[in-house]
Amino acid sequence: MSHFLDRLTFFNRVVDEFSNGHGVVTQEDRRWEDGYRKRWQHDKIVRSTHGANCTGSCSWKIYVKGGIVTWETQQTDYPRTRPELPNHEPRGCARGASYSWYLYSGNRVKYPLVRSRLLKLWRDARASRTPVAAWTSIVSDPEKRASYTKKRGHGGFVRATWDEVNEIIAAANAYTVKTHGPDRIAGFSPIPAMSMVSYAAGARYLSLLGGVCLSFYDWYCDLPPASPQTWGEQTDVPESADWYNSGFLILWGSNVPQTRTPDAHFYTEARYRGAKSVVICPDYSEASKFGDMWISVKQGTDAALAMAMGHVILREFHIDRQATYFRDYVRQYTDMPMLVRLVKDNKGKLVPERLVRASDFAGGLGETNNPEWKTVGYDETSGEIVVPSGSVGFRWGEKGKWNLEEKDANGRDTKLLLTLAEARDDLVDVAFPYFGNIEHDHFTGTDHPSVLERRVPVKKVQLADGEALVATVYDLFVANYGIDRGFGGAHVTADYNENVPYTPAWAETITGVPRDQIITVAREFARNAEKTRGRSMVIIGAAMNHWYHMDMNYRGVINMLVMCGCIGQSGGGWSHYVGQEKLRPQSGWTPLAFGLDWGRPPRQQNATSFFYAHTDQWRYETLDVKEILSPTAPPGPWDGAIIDYNVRAERMGWLPSAPQLEQNPLSIAAKAASNGQDVKDYVPQALLSGELKLSCEDPDNPKNWPRNMFVWRSNLLGSSGKGHEYFLKHLLGTSHGVLGKDLGQDGRHKPLEVAWHDDAPEGKLDLLVTLDFRMSTTCVYSDIVLPTATWYEKNDLNTSDMHPFIHPLTAAVDPVWGAKSDWEIYKGIAKAFSEVAPEVLGVEKDVVLTPIMHDTAGEIAQALDVKDWKRGEVALIPGKTMPQITVIERDYPNIYKRFTSLGPLMDKLGNGGKGMAWNTQHEVEFLRHLNGVVTEPGPTKGLARIDTDIDAAEVLLTLAPETNGEVAVKAWASLGDFTGLDHTHLAIPKEDEKIRFRDVVAQPRKIISSPIWSGLESEKVCYNACYTNVHELIPWRTLTGRQQLYQDHLWMRAFGEGFCVYRPPIDTKTVQPVLDRKPNGHTPVVLNFITPHQKWGIHSTYTDNLLMLTLSRGGPIVWISEVDAKKGGIVDNDWIEAFNSNGALVARAVVSQRVKEGMCMMYHAQEKIVNVPGSEQTKQRGGIHNSVTRAVLKPTHMIGGYAQQSYGFNYYGTVGSNRDEFVAVRKMAEIDWLDTPTADQPSALPKIPTAEAAE
Amino acid sequence: MRYTLKTISALLSYPDAALQSALPELQAAVETEGLLPEDARRALRDFMQEVAEGDLYDLQERYVLLFDRTRSLSLHLFEHVHGESRDRGQAMVDLAALYDRHDLAIGTSELPDFIPLFLEFLSAIPQTEARQHLSETVHILEAIRQRLEKRQSSYASVFSALQSLAQEQPDAEVLKAILSAPDDDPNDLVALDAAWLDEEVKFGPSSDAACDTDGLAAKIRAGRRPAPDMPVQPTLRPVVTHTPSNRA
Repeated sequence: MSHFLDRLTFFNRVVDEFSNGHGVVTQEDRRWEDGYRKRWQHDKIVRSTHGANCTGSCSWKIYVKGGIVTWETQQTDYPRTRPELPNHEPRGCARGASYSWYLYSGNRVKYPLVRSRLLKLWRDARASRTPVAAWTSIVSDPEKRASYTKKRGHGGFVRATWDEVNEIIAAANAYTVKTHGPDRIAGFSPIPAMSMVSYAAGARYLSLLGGVCLSFYDWYCDLPPASPQTWGEQTDVPESADWYNSGFLILWGSNVPQTRTPDAHFYTEARYRGAKSVVICPDYSEASKFGDMWISVKQGTDAALAMAMGHVILREFHIDRQATYFRDYVRQYTDMPMLVRLVKDNKGKLVPERLVRASDFAGGLGETNNPEWKTVGYDETSGEIVVPSGSVGFRWGEKGKWNLEEKDANGRDTKLLLTLAEARDDLVDVAFPYFGNIEHDHFTGTDHPSVLERRVPVKKVQLADGEALVATVYDLFVANYGIDRGFGGAHVTADYNENVPYTPAWAETITGVPRDQIITVAREFARNAEKTRGRSMVIIGAAMNHWYHMDMNYRGVINMLVMCGCIGQSGGGWSHYVGQEKLRPQSGWTPLAFGLDWGRPPRQQNATSFFYAHTDQWRYETLDVKEILSPTAPPGPWDGAIIDYNVRAERMGWLPSAPQLEQNPLSIAAKAASNGQDVKDYVPQALLSGELKLSCEDPDNPKNWPRNMFVWRSNLLGSSGKGHEYFLKHLLGTSHGVLGKDLGQDGRHKPLEVAWHDDAPEGKLDLLVTLDFRMSTTCVYSDIVLPTATWYEKNDLNTSDMHPFIHPLTAAVDPVWGAKSDWEIYKGIAKAFSEVAPEVLGVEKDVVLTPIMHDTAGEIAQALDVKDWKRGEVALIPGKTMPQITVIERDYPNIYKRFTSLGPLMDKLGNGGKGMAWNTQHEVEFLRHLNGVVTEPGPTKGLARIDTDIDAAEVLLTLAPETNGEVAVKAWASLGDFTGLDHTHLAIPKEDEKIRFRDVVAQPRKIISSPIWSGLESEKVCYNACYTNVHELIPWRTLTGRQQLYQDHLWMRAFGEGFCVYRPPIDTKTVQPVLDRKPNGHTPVVLNFITPHQKWGIHSTYTDNLLMLTLSRGGPIVWISEVDAKKGGIVDNDWIEAFNSNGALVARAVVSQRVKEGMCMMYHAQEKIVNVPGSEQTKQRGGIHNSVTRAVLKPTHMIGGYAQQSYGFNYYGTVGSNRDEFVAVRKMAEIDWLDTPTADQPSALPKIPTAEAAE
Repeated sequence: MRYTLKTISALLSYPDAALQSALPELQAAVETEGLLPEDARRALRDFMQEVAEGDLYDLQERYVLLFDRTRSLSLHLFEHVHGESRDRGQAMVDLAALYDRHDLAIGTSELPDFIPLFLEFLSAIPQTEARQHLSETVHILEAIRQRLEKRQSSYASVFSALQSLAQEQPDAEVLKAILSAPDDDPNDLVALDAAWLDEEVKFGPSSDAACDTDGLAAKIRAGRRPAPDMPVQPTLRPVVTHTPSNRA
């Protein structure tokens, strides 16, 4: 054989070994690899996100194979930031990655469910009656009504078809509109930003009916009222990327790695870059590891800590040495140079009164437009009193002078005087309230007097009504901190070690934080800010805001930031990441959501006051107004109970009211007409005569009950129902665990303004409808449960305050089983309603009462005093001393047509937001082409269509300045009219950029800078709140137009919060009455009840995901300290019961060194439906974290008609605080799983006799 | 077997008036085919009687409570073997592909692993193959049957009938694995406590903790991963695929 022929030219022989034995060839079966190959095979990847409650707003890839969602991974295609700034991607956490489970979960609601007793009644009635008559026959028969309302929460659901449930709902709505009024139909849905079209679906339906949308941000207690108070802004914060620009970061009551997981990398990166980090929280949280210093403050005393830090900053950077940057900043951007009048109180002591106005002077200092709303200061150069431009008086009624240039009203340059120390006429003692001496069983106080007089430099000024003493806000502010400036007098000191309110030594006794730590942090925080021009930042969280006196916690911190010029500066500022307010294309979305294209204004209600009244939590109020009233309160109507203040606020037009009147609002226009009167004349007169009555004065009267309620995108009764047991008892009328007695049973003082009924109503709602994709606690208590599409089954939009992108939810697969998207569900209900309505309703005139709204010309209502028409102090003037009155035409038979088209008011009235207005004709015309027009005959023919969820998304994207550059330019131009400055340069480069739905499906898009928000999106800066106020000289939307550190409204002064002070938590008095109830042999331990956000649930909504439950403990848990556990004989994993007079809950104990003694923590939103046994106290299934809470309102949050303190939906109003609550924690003796069915309930295992017989 | 399977599919669907009125027909079909052993047939007959004469609202309430709301009684096959794991999606894809190979496309919004749907599929294919596929699910059917029986629900008899068609006993190991998953029945304290316990974290082959099927597969893989310098035995490698015909 030839070697040549034997030799292979093209192949090598496969040998067992090669490369000197380093390589080996095997012949194993490789079919197993197919499993891995298949694992990554898919038909398509769809972009979506997790859309109701998680504010992470992370874009995800959803993998779909064969029409089935198989898994998800993080998207990594966010637009890049800029050189030297880390990128956003990847975003997403373990919670999001476990989401696809929900799609096919056994917990999913699969078909429309109705309580069988209701369905049976309905079908019987419907057999012989028309829809509305059928519903009438059910709810007007108390026995029939009770037969299903009493069963709420006790199972008994059957499936029904969409047609049938839609008809029931439509009939109930039509009956309610006709019989009681449209304002008896309410809807609750939170956080529109996370799936704005889904929110808009329900809100649009309700608004077209004249129904009431309930707010969420204030109810969740995520709204920090300190923000509107200080800035006139609901909340505006830096995006997380801006943390990277910071030099000094404080994490204060915020647990970034646990609750802001996708953003936490910026924090780590900022630390790599060299930022210093301080973490302030009572427990050793996950965030604590981020701290160069961890400060373990006593929970609830943060204001004391902030005040002490402020004391140090003032001393070292404003008084002993004046940092130029700080001084110039506070002069131009804060109310510190403004003058305050000092008056004698009834004990003869001088107290700070309101800010001096131009109108106080003879001739109004030359101001003729709104002189009562223009504040004044001394000009350092001329020594004269001037009216600086920019206060709210310049905003309305004139053009071009509302800006923060250092000029007066006549355009002359000014340099405002901060202190009167040099120019003073006198030094006087001014009284400041002190609350740190209030006794509390669980919080340390000091024994300083309740009134602290401190010496302040003053000028004597000739006002129109005589000579007055005035001081600057600056001098009062410094005195309030107890700083000794050499003026003599008491309650001030130059020594940090002296125990005088607000020194570090004083704070040490209150907060338990060593004074050295306080001094170090304050000093370094300010020093960094001085060197970097404001790059010190405080990231602040729910732990600070959920206290009754949250405003003090927040204002303490805000003061620090303002003193150091950090607000409005890149890398600096106040980063409140609680809840989610930032619906970036908000002004494009508002018309869609609230039907402003068909009727204005919508009915919007602050949920806290609504639930306080309608779940009858007010009947159990334990807080006496006297306990919170200031010892320096000026004379005023400071009597009555908390709800009385809310009623006063409602009738004066400060807060909204739903229902509004005892009478049906559809009946009023006709009444006025028959009297030959205009509605606006008739209503005030009839209110005065008593012919019309406000509902808020008698919430327990059946005439004033809310009747129908929709809940969607929310677990209202579960995670969000403060006072859960009161909801069950009064609103729903089912079995409950309320342990305490109401004011009547206890013989305590009853409210003055509200009618008292000895028998409290149980079961106010006729119908509760919940849309959800999982059987949540709220669904379990509902009458009708509608299966909604999950976040991978619908098209929607999503934005966040954490990053500047807008990105979509898209339907990866069609909704499984019987589910539909929220948009389709409400569209279906609207259709059914239009078919049912003509039975009782036609085109109707609806009289709508709305409060005096922020950012409208009406917000300057009562400038100098508070006058109440009910007390005969003032006439009823709509929009000034009482709610505004509008008549709106409702076309009930055409609700569906209106729902699915863009109404004519956009063309006619244009659009706007935050006080600005612009025309939208061009956009409306564009939408006619993009979405097509309605071709069907009828009142909507020729209008742009809004048929699908994508149509709806296009409407809001087209109308919003943030997503349509052309609109942005119009909006900036509109603002320019107010300020007299040109701002359009901020948007002109993007004028032709129009973001559409398919664009964001392709890739998240960065939004366009708009005057609706106070930050900029640019290639140079990260988004940071108040940036345009500082850099574009746009005033804050406050009384002074500046950052308002002194709150001069009468009610603010009455409740001692003119300046920031430390106030200990309130005593809710809920533990003692039940401490010895039903003893079981174990010792109860009394602990502060804290409900932070967790790691093992999708934000605050979902804690029933088995993956997450497995990673945690598998059911509800309460964390307690080792010391407290020992006191109660509790060991880890014991069943414990936590109870107080509000109710009881059952959970396992986690005993941990992490927790501070004296408090316990139960993570928010653990589900009642998951692994909960019965309570020994209530004999009900264990309860939820809200079972032991009850909302307590604060009068200062009810103020209205006063510039920044005017009502806005989710902007201002009462908030549902819950952390002042204490519970008795007791080891359980016996575990009862309460598995016996209710006696008259069809059991899950029916034994049917005939079947037995056949055997 | 066609009619018997189709009958059981109907009986496990949401009860409505149409089902009630079709019961005589169903009963006749089961009798005619005569595939069920006498005791199973009698139990099924009793069950049908119960449905025929029961109040429809009560029947529906019972169905919603048992099968729509109780996770551990879910009528979706893969809820029991894959639960919330991402393998579930792939398993459903494979199952849908199997239907496709028999020229059957899902015509409703139900998922491929819905038992009544699966049974209807079996009723439409040759008996030998149907029996084989049914046998593959017998451990799930048995687990649901046991849980229903624990609740004294007459639906247990429907599952007994199904199993008798499969003519195969469930594998005790696999059944145990499924039943060890927490049963969300508040009666079952033991299962709840098990779900509560924090497991000790163990790494490597000595872990004897989790016993769900995913965990088992991971353990098997871990256990067979060769240690350094150890001879490799190719034939021992498990073949991991999701194709139903390869599942045994």
